[in-house]
Amino acid sequence: MAELQQSGIFAPKVIEEIQAKAESGLYAIRGFGTLRERRWPTFDDLTFLPCSLTRIPLEGYREKCSTKTTLGTRFAKKPIQLDIPVMITGMSWGALSYNAKVALAKGAAAAGSSNTTGDGGMLKAERENSRTLIYEVLPSRYGVNIHHMRMADAIELTIGQGAKPGTGGLLLGSKVSDRIAEQRDLPIGVDQRSAARHPDFLGPDDMIIKVEELREATDWQVPIFIKLGASRVYDDVKLAAKAGADVIVVDGMEGGTGASPAIFQEHTGLPTLAAVCEARSALEDIGLYGEVQLIIAGGIRDGVDAAKAMALGADACYIGTASLIALNCNKPIYEDDYRAIGAAPHACHHCHTGRCPVGITTQDSELMKRLDIEHGAERVRNLLQVMTLETQMLARSCGKSDVHHLEPEDMAALTLEASAICGLPLVGTRKVFAL
Amino acid sequence: MKNPGARHNLAVAILADAHIRFTGSAGYYCGGLIDGASIEIAGSAGWGVAESMLSGTVRVHGSAGSGAAAGIRGGTVVILGDAAARLGVSMKGGTVIVAGNCGYMAGFMAQKGTLIVCGDVGEAFADSMYATVCYVGGRIANLGTDAVIVSMDFREAEQLEKTLSAQLPVSLRGAKPAAADFKKVIAGRKLWNFDKREWRIWQEAL
Repeated sequence: MAELQQSGIFAPKVIEEIQAKAESGLYAIRGFGTLRERRWPTFDDLTFLPCSLTRIPLEGYREKCSTKTTLGTRFAKKPIQLDIPVMITGMSWGALSYNAKVALAKGAAAAGSSNTTGDGGMLKAERENSRTLIYEVLPSRYGVNIHHMRMADAIELTIGQGAKPGTGGLLLGSKVSDRIAEQRDLPIGVDQRSAARHPDFLGPDDMIIKVEELREATDWQVPIFIKLGASRVYDDVKLAAKAGADVIVVDGMEGGTGASPAIFQEHTGLPTLAAVCEARSALEDIGLYGEVQLIIAGGIRDGVDAAKAMALGADACYIGTASLIALNCNKPIYEDDYRAIGAAPHACHHCHTGRCPVGITTQDSELMKRLDIEHGAERVRNLLQVMTLETQMLARSCGKSDVHHLEPEDMAALTLEASAICGLPLVGTRKVFAL
Repeated sequence: MKNPGARHNLAVAILADAHIRFTGSAGYYCGGLIDGASIEIAGSAGWGVAESMLSGTVRVHGSAGSGAAAGIRGGTVVILGDAAARLGVSMKGGTVIVAGNCGYMAGFMAQKGTLIVCGDVGEAFADSMYATVCYVGGRIANLGTDAVIVSMDFREAEQLEKTLSAQLPVSLRGAKPAAADFKKVIAGRKLWNFDKREWRIWQEAL
């Protein structure tokens, strides 16, 4: 009897998905970010080429390697000064619990870094516990408050997000608690959708005026960031620079989200590796590389990813998912509760449900108690510090006295695709394989 | 301020209890992000007039460009002429009154507050709203997704008349329909995002 064979096209998971759609009439919504097995070049396709005879390394524990990071030197009177180049990205109070937001603020402050508000405005405790706070202005304008804006150290005009460029935010009703509803001027318990585009400008030309408005509102003091979901990065970065951004944030497709249609997380956007290369080329081609600072986000896991992103041209990196994992996301504790929502430790992407077993992506007061703010802040600080140490170690081994001195020449590509994308020589060939 | 020359970003983020009058037209975002100020534009306004204001008053004697009163959280915006597309988009509170007509997609995703248009409204009116209440004196080109016309009781009509009488000059108010003849438009709450079945499933799971 012939062996039974499953279809490679209509694999069991695909069959399940089709039948779920047929039964519910709904498309899948979930959180976390792309779950696909990677088939695209990432930072793992690059390797560092530390010093040996042609270059001299710095001593790991004796010789200084600066991590000081300055952002917003183009037009702002008060650029932000950070001790480290790893920052916490924008995640909303709503998507995240109060405890998570405050723990991120305290942890980032303790590490000498920044944190960012999100699609829901500023929390008082978030401001009080931040050292450097970046205030996001998103298409939904939830919680936009001029008084809060003026308390911020930088403003980030968000055009898109790496996990879901071209569409708006989503917060399912289970997370629209009375406090979140009040903050966002919404009815309690109703799924909240955000607009995909800003209500008062359409394209890059009128965005110039919008940026100027934000400068007026903050007395031309603080840097204006423009955040882009990575899609047509080369052109978008040029346009954002033309619009007057001090800092451009490019968020690659490996970036996370609290909730969005699954198809966006899996099938839209440019990978972070490709995004940083296009962003750098764009700034170089208009003569603004170095003058406009570049922050890279999207699936940054450790100091190695951060160092590679910086070597390719970034001035700093945002982390989001990694910082939540530091807060115990996907940790094998409360395992029965993971199972109750159809998840498991290391395989939980159920942020959208509002029933986060570890108290991070929930508004339920009992679940939230599982995240101790002080303990969480310590873990976030530790992660940021270790990531910075890893970045420093690599920089020293490449002979650099400043992590910002890392450059493409410090790396080689392990695959043909990475060689072509990054313009780096393929290992063993000393040749760049580009079209 | 005389002859503002339609410059952009005039009177942005004014937080004082001040009255500012522009004799002439203003560009983009005039009166944006204000809290408590009273802004008068004796001319027309460009895009995003009064956007994201918290409280105060913005009066435009002429017409307003696209995205007027976008995202306001409080206060009153009065436009004595016409408003272009996307009036009151994502508004979160406050009151918007247009004496004339307005363009496409007014009230899109509006969350709270009151949106009143005395004249005609363009296509996709009040699309995908949450809890904003709209009143239209003229014709509705067509309703947006989930928008429904509902009846208005006597008290509501009385309140609407008071609001209009207080904000519009007699000469303009006299030519407009009686408050009781306005159509009231709200969200039908039939869109998927009002459905709480999935919420209940998760609540019961954990």
